[in-house]
Amino acid sequence: MRIRYYLKLGFKTGIKKFKLVIYLWLIVLILAMLAAAPLNYLLRINISHLFIEKPPFMPFELHLAEIFIANQNFFSPYFYFLFFLFLLVILFSIFLNAGLFSRLITSESRITFSEFLADGSYYFGKFFLATLIYLPFFILLFTLFRLLALPVDIFTEKAVSEWPMVIGSNLKILLFILLWTVFKLIFDLVRIVMIFESKKVLPALEQTFSFLKKHFFSLWGLYLILGLIFVVFSAIFLIVGRLLSSSQLFSLIITILLTQAIVIFRIFARTVFIGLEYCYYKENKI
Amino acid sequence: MGNKISVKKLALLSILILFFLPAVLSSSTGERPIKYFLQVELQPETQMLQAKEKISWTNLSHDYVPDLQLHLYWNAFKNELSTVAKESKTEGLFKRYQVRKDEWGWIKITSMTTSDGRDLVPAASFISPDEPFNPDDQTVLRVVLPEPLAPSESITLNLEFQAKVPRNGLRAGYYQDGFFISQWFPKPGVYEEGKGWNCHQYHLNSEFFADFADFEVKITVPEKFVVGACGEEVEKTIEPKSKKVTHTYVAQNIHDFAWTASPRFLKIERLFKAQEEIAPQEYRQVAAMLDLSPEEIKLPDVRMILLIEKQHKNQIDRHFRALKAAIKYYGLWYGPYPYRTITMVDPPFRTGSGGMEYPTLFTAGTSVLLDKDVLSPEGVIIHEFGHNYWYGMVANNEFEEAWLDEGINTYSTGKAVAAAYGPGKLPLRFNGLPLTWFINVPAVYDWQTDRLLSGTVAKLDPIVNYSWKFYNSGSYGLNVYQRASTALNTLERLVGQKTMAKIMRTYQQRFRFRHPKTEDFIQVAKEISGKNLDWFFQEFFYSTKDFDYGISSVKSEEKDNKVSGIIDSWPNKNTTYQPQKNKEQKIKKYETTITLRRYGEARVSPEEKLKLKVEFENGEVEWREWDGQSRWARFTFEKTAPIKSAVLDPEHIWLVDSNITNNSYISSGPGLKILATTSNLIWLIENLLWTIGNLL
Repeated sequence: MRIRYYLKLGFKTGIKKFKLVIYLWLIVLILAMLAAAPLNYLLRINISHLFIEKPPFMPFELHLAEIFIANQNFFSPYFYFLFFLFLLVILFSIFLNAGLFSRLITSESRITFSEFLADGSYYFGKFFLATLIYLPFFILLFTLFRLLALPVDIFTEKAVSEWPMVIGSNLKILLFILLWTVFKLIFDLVRIVMIFESKKVLPALEQTFSFLKKHFFSLWGLYLILGLIFVVFSAIFLIVGRLLSSSQLFSLIITILLTQAIVIFRIFARTVFIGLEYCYYKENKI
Repeated sequence: MGNKISVKKLALLSILILFFLPAVLSSSTGERPIKYFLQVELQPETQMLQAKEKISWTNLSHDYVPDLQLHLYWNAFKNELSTVAKESKTEGLFKRYQVRKDEWGWIKITSMTTSDGRDLVPAASFISPDEPFNPDDQTVLRVVLPEPLAPSESITLNLEFQAKVPRNGLRAGYYQDGFFISQWFPKPGVYEEGKGWNCHQYHLNSEFFADFADFEVKITVPEKFVVGACGEEVEKTIEPKSKKVTHTYVAQNIHDFAWTASPRFLKIERLFKAQEEIAPQEYRQVAAMLDLSPEEIKLPDVRMILLIEKQHKNQIDRHFRALKAAIKYYGLWYGPYPYRTITMVDPPFRTGSGGMEYPTLFTAGTSVLLDKDVLSPEGVIIHEFGHNYWYGMVANNEFEEAWLDEGINTYSTGKAVAAAYGPGKLPLRFNGLPLTWFINVPAVYDWQTDRLLSGTVAKLDPIVNYSWKFYNSGSYGLNVYQRASTALNTLERLVGQKTMAKIMRTYQQRFRFRHPKTEDFIQVAKEISGKNLDWFFQEFFYSTKDFDYGISSVKSEEKDNKVSGIIDSWPNKNTTYQPQKNKEQKIKKYETTITLRRYGEARVSPEEKLKLKVEFENGEVEWREWDGQSRWARFTFEKTAPIKSAVLDPEHIWLVDSNITNNSYISSGPGLKILATTSNLIWLIENLLWTIGNLL
């Protein structure tokens, strides 16, 4: 009963502040278009006049590979461009997260883009510091992962068939995801505490740990259930996407809409995660 | 008088026959210069082999041979000083062989005597025949004979040797109690008349070269092991006391002997029944293509033996279906498989021995999770079986001209896979799972991926090159397999399918049980096609030139009849200018200019012209030819409609063209596809950005 209650609260928060999802989606879309623009240019230069016979001489994907091979000089600077873009995105995402957390937590139901940006600026410093503090925990996360994966490695090292390897390597991925959810849960909560309680990073971290002493498993359980729902929906999206062909205009439009719906759904899932955690914290804090 | 001349002629003929007989026998009738008798015991706990070997070698040349040179391949894995280990160090991230401590392999001859008991060990020393000289390599042993061996004389060596199985010796190896044993015994190189021994040290990228021989091999293993080997098993004796089993195998006219042993094998036998596998109609079709009668291409039955890991037992039918297809198509196209058995091995887990050929035995390799639309393990089964033809029977020197087996066999595999299965999905995997289960992956023919990959290495190395002289393993692999196959597919399109089929069959039949060279293949191709193909092989096999012709620009504009300048009324007989008299006579005219360019260095022969097909919006079609010698050519058309499309090489003859994407022009291109690709890209980047953004 409590599970449904908190899930409902999480979803409610996400839906109520759906505008945030749209803001984030638009920002991500613009950045992605910026990153894809050089590739689109390359495609247009190379194949905008490509004659494709019926039946095609070779699958279109191989033409793409051919362009990749023929334009290797283009890709080296392009990958640098992507690398720097992604570095910028990491910094920028601190700013976006600040805006997102703050606007999700605020009791005001009206959301505007300028408030979102203002909150991003206001909390940027604190969020940046928090990010720096996460870094040692990142190392801890990987160390813990290596330790926990050790029995799996031992199990697969002595295997006499491929099955243990397939199972083991997929188990390791699952293990990493589980650990990652713990990591995310903790540090999302730190940020919630920072804003909700107007605390600095370290006191927020301390309060988070003391809160989780009592509530870790309930909150993690909720997180995992929500994660599972997210995975199921993503799988449905992907299955539907596989069935669509991109050779017809109508079908292509549906595919484009669907792929963007997946991105929106991912962003929405994130707001629900934060919303759920926030509601849980608000109701259970001492 | 007449009688005297006849006697003289007869005497001369007798001398000639006596003089040339050994060489003739060795090259055309396939007389084997070697006989092997091997006894080996596997000690699985220590991964050791204890063996005795008797080698009888006959000098089939006219030379007096002062020494013998033996390959001791496993010494490549003895230390970090071997040529293989040194060459491996120069490779990049993806090393084919990684030196690992405690995983060494080696071979040591403990005794070597002649049949009359003379000890040859003191006369033996390691040599390094190849450049760069490596005094520390111990993969070639030279044994100076007590006296030079005269033509037609034989020598018998009795050897005893020990060998430690390398953990992962490129193609041989062990893991727990699974063993794959290849290149494991001292094996003479090939003696070439007038040149001496052809006995290269083991190189990272090289495969092998040996003379045809008869083998009798006794393999002793603990009784729990299931054994497979080259040739036929003729005897199996069990020693109850020691719980050991000795398997005896014999094989004639093969040039290598490999075997495998593992307790996790299932051994299944089935028969390839030619009558059931090949319909009379198929015989007739192939016979017509080869200008032979159906009786001449009739195939015999073959006993198929499969050793498969228990974990893959659900794939038994899949393995046999592929093997049957290989026996059928290679047999029909190139001649019947001449041996009675073929052993297909799903190699023991983690022995690193998959996808490798040996005469009458080959290893494939598969995974526990497979997609039915991905032709793996089918492709590798057909390829490795095919090596019985290209390497096994037509036994070129893999050290020096690896394309002759790998390239020809890649070409043949592509044809056999296409005939038996059609296109297959690309084998993309992640974490042991086929990605084809989750995402749409295109189905492709081998020749399509081959031509795509071959363009990447055209400028690095020629196809015909010593295997250790390639830029790196990648260049070796892509040049020798994919680029050579692409060149052969181009040749097929150039000379026609029927002629190519006859070239391949003639080459196979003429050089069965011999050691041909690239020139032999070229000679057959020229002879059968009736064309001078020297330029073709020079351009695509012996050079590092990139072949890329393309359409550089297309301009199609309405022709304006208004001309600026002074047009006087003085009569000009040849003028093209026709002033318009009235509006009714005005017909729209379009001038279309197409510029072709030769982007690469490689050229077609002036006789083999490149074709350009141009289609106009009114349905008119024009063809032009270009000899392709200059760097560019421009064609102009004046039509009543603008251009619709232009295609350079519309018959797709020049598969060697490294960029086919620039070979065509259409006024309205694949806009939807570009949109779909761009939107997919954007989606991918969005997800990536969101994931990165959420990391912190």
